[in-house]
Amino acid sequence: MRDLLLGVCIAELGVIAVLIIRLARGPTVSDRIIALNTMSTQGAIAVLFFAAYAGRSIYCDVALWLSSFSYLGAFVWARYLERGLL
Amino acid sequence: MTGFWVLDYLCLAGILTCAALVVFMNNRSGSVMALSGVGTLMSVLFVVLGAPDVAHAEVIVGAIALPVLYLVAIGKIRTDVPDRGELGEEHASRK
Amino acid sequence: MSVHGWVAAAFCAVGLFFSLTGAIGIVRMPDVYTRIQCSSKTITMGAIPFLVALAIAEGPLSTYGSRALVVGILLFIVNPAASHAVARAAYKTGVPMWSGSVVDEVQLRREDESE
Repeated sequence: MRDLLLGVCIAELGVIAVLIIRLARGPTVSDRIIALNTMSTQGAIAVLFFAAYAGRSIYCDVALWLSSFSYLGAFVWARYLERGLL
Repeated sequence: MTGFWVLDYLCLAGILTCAALVVFMNNRSGSVMALSGVGTLMSVLFVVLGAPDVAHAEVIVGAIALPVLYLVAIGKIRTDVPDRGELGEEHASRK
Repeated sequence: MSVHGWVAAAFCAVGLFFSLTGAIGIVRMPDVYTRIQCSSKTITMGAIPFLVALAIAEGPLSTYGSRALVVGILLFIVNPAASHAVARAAYKTGVPMWSGSVVDEVQLRREDESE
């Protein structure tokens, strides 16, 4: 069971490595927003599975923060594109 | 224990790639976004290294607050200032 | 492994398949709006099965399972809103659609209103 948890964690980091390609190549800002948003969600899941692998429940809170604040970041970037921040 | 090192080096490779993107990207918004990616991956690295409190701070500061601060600064900068070379540095460089 | 372990492994396989294909789709798709569709699929069919698998493996009321369910409900609520916001921002800033795309319904509706 622990091998499954660790394997999912490593696979999520591999998915993040694929998404960095789009973060580098994206022709517009919206592409990069999408790549970054997906990246941080996958990072949150990786943190959650690493918490279950390591057996430390305090790591789960980082996953909660990471997922919620990644969406806050997406909203901030969308507002910046539409109207500007100030 | 091997899996721990695999996770460690994968996170480190992602951070280094994003940091290289911050420097070498020729687009200002793209650089700020790569900076946000550095913060996100670094929070994952902090969790792997066993520092969840630092990871909390890194999520807030590195992934959200610092890019937003950079965006506000970029929005306030006047980028259309004409370069007249009043101090003579342009002519000095042309010689 | 027990029955719970095999069910969790099956959910992880589904989630891994959809996450990987979604990431490849984000890299390979031709324009912004199709990439938004791939990203949304990555969250909905890729992340939620992972969290369900964790909740099954550890028990839905345990420490990890309950937090996995909280993260899953949060993603399920916020993800469509974020995709919608990004798509609207992209359309308002004039990001062009793919040259092979067929219909632009917002443009059609604007033409109808102007007539």
